[in-house]
Amino acid sequence: MALRAARSVRITISSLWAAVATETPGSLASLPAAPARIWARLGPDSLPFPTAGASRGLCTSALRLAVRKFTDKHEWISTENGIGTVGISNFAQEALGDVVYCSLPEVGTKLNKQDEFGALESVKAASELYSPLTGEVTEINVALAEDPGLVNKSCYEDGWLIKMTLSNPSELDELMSEDAYERYIKSIED
Amino acid sequence: MGPRVLLVRMGRLPYAEALALQERWLRRLQTAQGPGAEAGALLLGEPAGPVYTAGLRGGLRPDEETRLRALGADVRRTGRGGLATFHGPGQLLAHPVLDLRPLGLRLRTHVAALETCAVGLCRRLGLPDARARPAPYTGVWLDERKICAIGVRCGRHITSHGLALNCCTDLAWFEHIVPCGLEGMGVTSLSEELQRQITVEEAMEPFLEAFEEAFQCTLTLHEENSD
Repeated sequence: MALRAARSVRITISSLWAAVATETPGSLASLPAAPARIWARLGPDSLPFPTAGASRGLCTSALRLAVRKFTDKHEWISTENGIGTVGISNFAQEALGDVVYCSLPEVGTKLNKQDEFGALESVKAASELYSPLTGEVTEINVALAEDPGLVNKSCYEDGWLIKMTLSNPSELDELMSEDAYERYIKSIED
Repeated sequence: MGPRVLLVRMGRLPYAEALALQERWLRRLQTAQGPGAEAGALLLGEPAGPVYTAGLRGGLRPDEETRLRALGADVRRTGRGGLATFHGPGQLLAHPVLDLRPLGLRLRTHVAALETCAVGLCRRLGLPDARARPAPYTGVWLDERKICAIGVRCGRHITSHGLALNCCTDLAWFEHIVPCGLEGMGVTSLSEELQRQITVEEAMEPFLEAFEEAFQCTLTLHEENSD
């Protein structure tokens, strides 16, 4: 659901860009008002990236967007100020079913890309989690101890799993963009 | 008909050995480059001695563990889903180490296929009322008595652990724990329900049929020496 909302917002924004470009080239300053209203209507939580506030212009907001990348094991990572936040995708949480337990690593654990860092349990099944990048765990989502269902309800926001440093930021280039990930899901769904 | 799954007959063996064998198959399947000739291996056997196991979440406190060891049982921690359960002689232990992709399964449907398989076995032996129940009662039941426990793990698309079905298990062992963390629920066995001795041996063939049907695969006997 979060993914679908994001798609419609992106299409709206890009058509706004097109409208501005053809009608009044150079008047980008007048653009922000429209997207701000769209974001305000949908609410910041419906978008897969943190918004910089509805009152800011689209240009400055775009620069602050934390890009979300995906792995082929259905984990995502978004980075901001050198810290990566890791979670599982909507596809993964749907495939798992109701998460009843999250087994997460201790803060300070050093992970190599693709190392197993924990597991999520649902319906008598424990699914392993793999680190998207090499780095060190700086924080784990303690809210999941009381409410593991957050992973299902809000896999891109409140259901985040761990935060980690990035020892090798160039590893991000090896991961899939959101579009590439959506194509990947389609290819494995058949 | 359907993908090939190797049948690995473990025979009667200590649970720890079954876990070691499972590890070897897991490693073999996880490191295989590209699709292999088979979709996995079904490890089938019977625990030689009593053992209590806990799952990823735990399920057995340290004081409980001490008490259980004093009874003469082994106690093991595993990475499977589910809480505490018991394994022992008279129980059919099935650990399908499968690559979910060639079998067209997701983890949830794998668990459902395990339930279907156990229900299929019960029906073949004359228990038409055996049924699976939705979470948190995953497993196979006759009324409020559980005949088959299920708990699995999945990593890199490869499953491990599986199900434990009571054929002629000494059910008294279950009295020392809260099986699967479900208070007030009973346990039963094929022998208990059919009021005659049913050994793991007797349940084997119908189980294999039920497995092929539930997983839409073909079982091929794996010869130990051909590793």
